[in-house]
Amino acid sequence: MSDVLTEIEQEIRDNKVVLYMKGTPAFPMCGFSAAAVKILKEVGVPFKAVDVLAEPEKREAIKQFSNWPTIPQLYVGGKFVGGSDILRELHARGEFAGLVK
Amino acid sequence: MREGGAGYTCVGVVSPEDIRRRIEEAFPGAQVSVADATGAGDHFEVRVRAAAFAGRTLVEQHQLVYGALGTLMGRIHALALQTETLEEARG
Repeated sequence: MSDVLTEIEQEIRDNKVVLYMKGTPAFPMCGFSAAAVKILKEVGVPFKAVDVLAEPEKREAIKQFSNWPTIPQLYVGGKFVGGSDILRELHARGEFAGLVK
Repeated sequence: MREGGAGYTCVGVVSPEDIRRRIEEAFPGAQVSVADATGAGDHFEVRVRAAAFAGRTLVEQHQLVYGALGTLMGRIHALALQTETLEEARG
């Protein structure tokens, strides 16, 4: 598990915007992950997507990492921003674009 | 457990009341609404207005609710969550 946590630390350090999701941006496997991808695409920000369905160990590790029990999870500048509900709310408030740019 | 009439076996299905009770116990005086989005007991839409959220970030507010739900979270496929402080709710 600690190896995976280290890998997560590195992913969010090396990439400004990282989305841990189910499936891929082209083929999201869950409506909540799809909603998160849609918002990121609307804002037009490049992001790294990590498919936790392809990495079961990471799927559990990422929940521990931010004490957050659900997927998707968005990280910006190494910090946890939230899950799909929070993304939607920040986007609705018009605060999300500023956050990722 | 077999639910009458549903025609399929529901193993440990979570009811909206289970969710409401856990949240109300954790946040006395909170306004809680819970909707079973599909009727299947695995997708819920939850809104919580609680004074305890004041001064906390959205992430912290959601973490408090997830914490209150505890083991129930592992039995729910999806939970759409909206939190507000009681002051925001009045405004």
